[in-house]
Amino acid sequence: FILMLSLALGTMITITSNHWVTAWAGLEINTLAIIPLISKSHHPRAIEAATKYFLTQATASALMLFSSMTNAWSSGQWDITQLTNPPSCLLLTAAIAIKLGLTPFHFWFPEVLQGSSLTTALLLSTAMKLPPTTILLLTSHSLNPTLLSTMAIMSIALGGWMGLNQTQTRKILAFSSISHLGWMTIIITYNPKLTLLTFYLYSLMTTSIFLSMNSTNTLKLSTLMTSWTKAPMLNTTLMLTLLSLAGLPPLTGFLPKWLIIQELTKQEMTTTATIISMLSLLGLFFYLRLTYCSTITLPPNSSNKMKQWSIKKPVNTLTPTL
Amino acid sequence: IPLIYINIILTFTISLLKILIYHSHLISSLLYLKKIILSLFIITTLTTLNTHSLLTNIIPITILIFTTYKTTINLTLLISISNTYNLNYIHNLNLLQY
Repeated sequence: FILMLSLALGTMITITSNHWVTAWAGLEINTLAIIPLISKSHHPRAIEAATKYFLTQATASALMLFSSMTNAWSSGQWDITQLTNPPSCLLLTAAIAIKLGLTPFHFWFPEVLQGSSLTTALLLSTAMKLPPTTILLLTSHSLNPTLLSTMAIMSIALGGWMGLNQTQTRKILAFSSISHLGWMTIIITYNPKLTLLTFYLYSLMTTSIFLSMNSTNTLKLSTLMTSWTKAPMLNTTLMLTLLSLAGLPPLTGFLPKWLIIQELTKQEMTTTATIISMLSLLGLFFYLRLTYCSTITLPPNSSNKMKQWSIKKPVNTLTPTL
Repeated sequence: IPLIYINIILTFTISLLKILIYHSHLISSLLYLKKIILSLFIITTLTTLNTHSLLTNIIPITILIFTTYKTTINLTLLISISNTYNLNYIHNLNLLQY
């Protein structure tokens, strides 16, 4: 319970910071609080995930501190919104990309999500993304647009491509989060409010998916196929939330994509908009496969309702009807 | 004097590269992480002492405090790894590929 409190404290510290050291301190507190959560079950996979996570996040926070220090050397400002030194801006974008899991620094993310339990994976992919995105938002006017947009396009591509061959649901969700992060960061230099919107909606949808998967304990695609026996209503709502994550029009997941494409066309970047929408088709494939596996397939031996679990249902039913 | 500054930046970049291109043990990457943060600490003390501003003197001390947190978590993770694994090599971290 103390760990949750310290997580909340760390995020609050970074969000309400105007000095680089407070932001760095909040990020460190977050990593400190999450690592025992990841390695709670004394399984070697969990501990390995914890070490990978720790190493990457520690280097990223050190890089961030270094960028703030070079900025302080050249301009004497420790203010977050006053990044004037161009190499420190570059370093900062790289550091936050490592923290978030954008390409080319995404390699830790699927493995860390795979090694942690479902609730900690939920925390990792939603709550831990919040402080770096707030730092990005605070410094969005001084970031490097070309680097960010290339990283974003590559992350959308990679999130779609590498999610195609996965059978473990946590890895699939990891790649979906990588692609959604790409969508978030592509618009950040032009309209930061849209990144906030995408972040909120994405966190809502992924919390509902994670919680529904947690209640049925589906870690593989094969267990998804037999989960309709346990709670049929949950399966239908899971299908709807998955499709909204993919970004299909009548559901809420389409809204950020639509607004982002609109904003990009306002900035005369129509080629990037088309490339992004083409690449999200790749993600659509495995979302569709997930929905197909969860709802339409029947198990070889017919089994009726086996057990009733305690389910966090209201989150699920809210998100498609938002 | 910029020469000392360039030297410390060199230590930072070289230790950063050492983290990314590790030899065989995990402990070495942790050591170079520590070295990164030490170099950052030296840079902050230099900047705060050269610009005689009294408010920014807190910064190096707080950095040191948080690095003590980090290093304790470092070492506990190392211990847990050595409990569950036989050796300390980085090639052992391939369980999560499947």
